[in-house]
Amino acid sequence: MTNWLLDSHLKRQRTGWTPARVTLAQLVALAAPAGVSLAERGTAQIAVLMTALATCLVWELAFDLVRGRSLSLHTATVALIFAVLVPPAVPLWQIAMAASFGVVFGELVFGGRGYGIVSGAAAAAGFLVFSFSGTGLSASSEAVALATLPGAVLLLLGGLVSWRVLVSVVVVLVASGLAQEGMSGVLAVLTTSAFGLVFLVADPVAGASTQLGRWVFGILAGLLIVLFDTLAGSAIAPAAIVFASLLASIFAPLIDYAVVELTVRRRRARHG
Amino acid sequence: MLPGFRIEHGRLPDQAVHDGAPVERVALVGADLPGLRPRLLCEQGDRVRQGQVLFHDRAHPEIVFVSPVSGVVKSITLGPRRSLSALVIRLEADQQEPDPVSMAVSTAVEMRAALLANGFWPAFLTRPFGRIPAPDAVPDAIFVTVTADNPHAPDPRVVLKEQEDVFAAGLRALALLTNGVVHVCQTQGADIAAGCGDRIRGAFFAPGGASGLAGTHIHNLHPVGPGRSVWSIGYQDVLSIGKLIETGVHDFSRVVALAGPRARQPRLIRTIAGASLQDLIRGEAVPGNHGAPLCVLSGPAMNGRPASWLGRYHQQITLVDDAPKHGKASEQGLMARFRRASVQPAPLIPTAALERALAFDIPVVPFLRALSVGDAETASRLGCLELVEEDLAAVSLACTSGADYGRMLRHVLDELAEDS
Repeated sequence: MTNWLLDSHLKRQRTGWTPARVTLAQLVALAAPAGVSLAERGTAQIAVLMTALATCLVWELAFDLVRGRSLSLHTATVALIFAVLVPPAVPLWQIAMAASFGVVFGELVFGGRGYGIVSGAAAAAGFLVFSFSGTGLSASSEAVALATLPGAVLLLLGGLVSWRVLVSVVVVLVASGLAQEGMSGVLAVLTTSAFGLVFLVADPVAGASTQLGRWVFGILAGLLIVLFDTLAGSAIAPAAIVFASLLASIFAPLIDYAVVELTVRRRRARHG
Repeated sequence: MLPGFRIEHGRLPDQAVHDGAPVERVALVGADLPGLRPRLLCEQGDRVRQGQVLFHDRAHPEIVFVSPVSGVVKSITLGPRRSLSALVIRLEADQQEPDPVSMAVSTAVEMRAALLANGFWPAFLTRPFGRIPAPDAVPDAIFVTVTADNPHAPDPRVVLKEQEDVFAAGLRALALLTNGVVHVCQTQGADIAAGCGDRIRGAFFAPGGASGLAGTHIHNLHPVGPGRSVWSIGYQDVLSIGKLIETGVHDFSRVVALAGPRARQPRLIRTIAGASLQDLIRGEAVPGNHGAPLCVLSGPAMNGRPASWLGRYHQQITLVDDAPKHGKASEQGLMARFRRASVQPAPLIPTAALERALAFDIPVVPFLRALSVGDAETASRLGCLELVEEDLAAVSLACTSGADYGRMLRHVLDELAEDS
């Protein structure tokens, strides 16, 4: 078998992102929103967070052991995102079930983070809403939205989140907010959707991976959010963002396929 | 900058040409001639003159490889599948210069024959595929790379100083090989190719990024594809061809940059293609941090190869710290299962750095995915024929996967070359 890895002297020169650094950056970006949600919702939220973390890490350990891989903490980010989305009133066993589904079928069965087709946290939250009737997701407060900002800036600067996706989805949502309630609607849209947009919709792995495709993906996600939104007025239901991100992720390969075909056609004209 | 996002490249080399340490041995190495199966025309212990034919390509007997120096063939080692591993020549003390004779070549046929017979054909590399062209091939254009592909490489204007006439003779020789344009790609400044004829055109590229690579020049000026082929050649080879035409001397001297974090005095040195790096860097390296062993690279830090001999196409010698050895005995038990070294590339996470690292009209993430699975058809549709290994060096370093995309590209290109 051919060894496709970089030579050791080249590996030492890698100064960009490695999977471990990506995980670390996402954990840092998530620390503030997770902390704020803990402060807001009290001790019950600690139990939620611990359950989600423990579930995800146990599955990760099990898969790493079976596959003989080195231990990574990728699934901790899934647990943190999921914990922020879940209200503290949900029974812990339901949280464990949903987190298991999300982390196993969103990421681990495909080979771990970077190989899956949807965001693990979105899969977990979607499972929770679908499977247990009466369970809703907790709406994002203004404090959580504010706490999302520094993380979003970090991820944008590091290129771990595509600004094309964020800009296009925000434009669609703001336009719909403006249409419904004018300027006051814009603020409500942004506070209720900020966390979900940065950590679910803009997930680099689940989204489109071509530059033009990212614009289309963002617009599609924005339109789906508007379509799924069940709340009256301009505020956006968290479940709408979750399902919009899941559905948009499923369309991402199709979008990429179309963009690649366009590129190939353009190249054929130029390169003969 | 965050820790770990920074790398020490060492001081920039002093852009003045010094004489390199005298070398005792030079070699023609198979690593420069991938896929070539030689038919040897000399034996171990033979005395060879400078410019004497040592071996030729089995597939194309017209393509010969000549000795860059006069000396004695010290060893010939063959690699797998009867490829060449290395042919080492020990220099003889009295290097007598042959009397200069002007070669009478004025037609395309004569020029082609002269370059083939004197061993300068391997100076050309085709694009697509990055291989030595067939003896009867005619390119749509020829690209002369008169740029430095990184700040540590020699500045071509310094190397060519006061040899402009010889260089121009070389350029006029190239124009005989193609019906198209000879693009002389250079950084901003006076046009080196001015007044050489209307088919020899200067093109200018701002320094920085990948603008020094032949692939970038070709992409911008004459994009290649399945039906369009161009050749590229380095400026020092053009100089050698000019010298061959004007004086009949086989000049394989090279000006290379000796640089890297471990170089005592980064500067340009004059030596011979294929020179023994061991001879050349004697006394040039400083001790490493914490006693790290020295790694000598032929080529730039980003895509050079650890080598004992200066590569045919390389213009840089980079001295870096070698990676510490993890020679731990195999562990037993539960934790050992987590510590197993990864044998597969890590996942590819689409970050913005990937788009910045590839300066081509290619959708980079789908392209890298096609390369990773060895999908030659998709890779070719997306434009892999425009690239060779050096163009993907920056992407390999920027990608989270830690995979060597250059090697994957070569695998795909070889498959496509066999089909075409």
